[in-house]
Amino acid sequence: MDVIITESLTRRYGKRIGIEEVSFAVPEGSLFGFLGPNGAGKTTTIRVLLGFMPPTRGHAKVMGSDCWIQSERLKAEVGYLPGDLRLYPWMSGMEALKIFGSVRRRDLMREGIELAGRFALDLSVKVRMMSRGTRQKLGLVLAMAHRPRLLVLDEPTASLDPLMQEELRRHLRALSKSGHTVFFSSHTLSEVDDLCDTVAILREGRLVAHAALEELRNRSQREVIIRWRNALEMPQAVPPYLEIQRRDGNIWICQLAGSSRELVRWAASQGVEDLSLGRPDLESLFRRYYEGEPP
Amino acid sequence: MNRGLLAKAWRESWLLTLLFGLGLALVEGLLSYAIPRFQEQLSALWSRLTFIQSIMQALVGTERAGPLGPEMIGAIVWVHPAVLALVWGHAITFCTRVPVGEIDRGTIDVLLSLPVSRWQLYGTETVVWLASGIAVVLFGAMGTVGGRLTLAGTMPIEIPKLAILTFNLFALYLAVGGLAWCASASGDRRGRVIAVVFAFLIGSLLLNYLANFWRLAEHLSFLGVLHYYRPIPILRDGVWPMRDIAVLLASGTALWGLGGMIFSRRDLRTV
Repeated sequence: MDVIITESLTRRYGKRIGIEEVSFAVPEGSLFGFLGPNGAGKTTTIRVLLGFMPPTRGHAKVMGSDCWIQSERLKAEVGYLPGDLRLYPWMSGMEALKIFGSVRRRDLMREGIELAGRFALDLSVKVRMMSRGTRQKLGLVLAMAHRPRLLVLDEPTASLDPLMQEELRRHLRALSKSGHTVFFSSHTLSEVDDLCDTVAILREGRLVAHAALEELRNRSQREVIIRWRNALEMPQAVPPYLEIQRRDGNIWICQLAGSSRELVRWAASQGVEDLSLGRPDLESLFRRYYEGEPP
Repeated sequence: MNRGLLAKAWRESWLLTLLFGLGLALVEGLLSYAIPRFQEQLSALWSRLTFIQSIMQALVGTERAGPLGPEMIGAIVWVHPAVLALVWGHAITFCTRVPVGEIDRGTIDVLLSLPVSRWQLYGTETVVWLASGIAVVLFGAMGTVGGRLTLAGTMPIEIPKLAILTFNLFALYLAVGGLAWCASASGDRRGRVIAVVFAFLIGSLLLNYLANFWRLAEHLSFLGVLHYYRPIPILRDGVWPMRDIAVLLASGTALWGLGGMIFSRRDLRTV
């Protein structure tokens, strides 16, 4: 079942395009990465999904509910951390859990305290006394304390230290394993690469890619080092998916733009002594998506 | 209505209401005590400075200011600029907390991520606002009673007239609040919204003043809120100004409703 479905979702601010014809689906239990450079339309999409603004055109449904008309209903099952989180300065973590629990008509204390322990957060401190990172932790606790079916996080690691970022990733993986869906918006590839199983990439308000990360890895180039037994056995021509970057004696350093299986099959028929394959270079693939070149 | 939202609104506003209420009680108490004591000096000043007469005429709501008698003294307590500033100040400060205050400080994202409808949020805030407004005007009435009690015998307290004045003041508070809700629901910057509402109130005051000697302003004076808040006739006749109260309540309700409709349909994003 898809937790989020958007069809031709368009949102304009006057003449300016926020998002244009964005269509994607997020399967239940997935860790969905929503990538794009600053101003690509990630936050606009999230705001439409949460019913903060109606779409200009198209539809968006979250757990079967229309995002604009039935936003109150869908938000009972959604946890949200805004990109630019602001909390009430007079609140302490405890007060926040109490008030938010009362609004949600659920006791958030037990889960909230457990999450606070996980993120090393002191719930007795008032928001006005908290550092930015601590506020971010409280925002995460408040977004997750009701164990939502869908967790929407807009650049959640922005103010977290590396240890907390790792803790968050661990927790999100655990949530996903237990069937919760995570919609993870970011402009940093490495954290999406590390966490997510599916990604959508936005650029200038348009969706330029939507695929499983594994599929994108297959599409991206990889560095290949081939060591030949001797110079005589080096072939005169190479397959089209292999591009030689540098020759160093009987060692070739190449870029693979196809499947590794085909490469191995080809290499087996040649006088190859050793072959090593690097990690897929997602960075350059994503850079090309970001910069608008066809990948 | 949502209990959690109610708790949040109460937590954010009780101190504001207490301070404005105490301020109003203090001001009304002091005026009720001081003005009759200095009646002679004030009367001399009153007869010399005619422009003060026209300002007071505009404020207290009478065709001719006349001499500084007990009714006028009683009325000054209810229309003194400090009194109006406190009543309007509370209404404007409270009604611009949500939604424009939340938008301005960026907390609207968190608030709207909760499973409540916008009407539910608006309604809950309104309930706390109404309760706070009642508290503020009652504080004012208690201040008047307190001030008068120290002058026992010279200025008797007429409870029915006091009740009418308090209710008329509350109706004025509701009308100003309704306007503030409407502006709050439409704006993105709290400072601007407060400025707009404040400008309307100053305009209303000015219109009432100009109506004393300018025919066009007299024709337009019905557009200002102070046209419907006139303590002198109440203190003189002790009759409920039903038309004035009805106009204030109806305009307050209509503006509040319009604000709710705007809020329920508008885009909400932090600025």
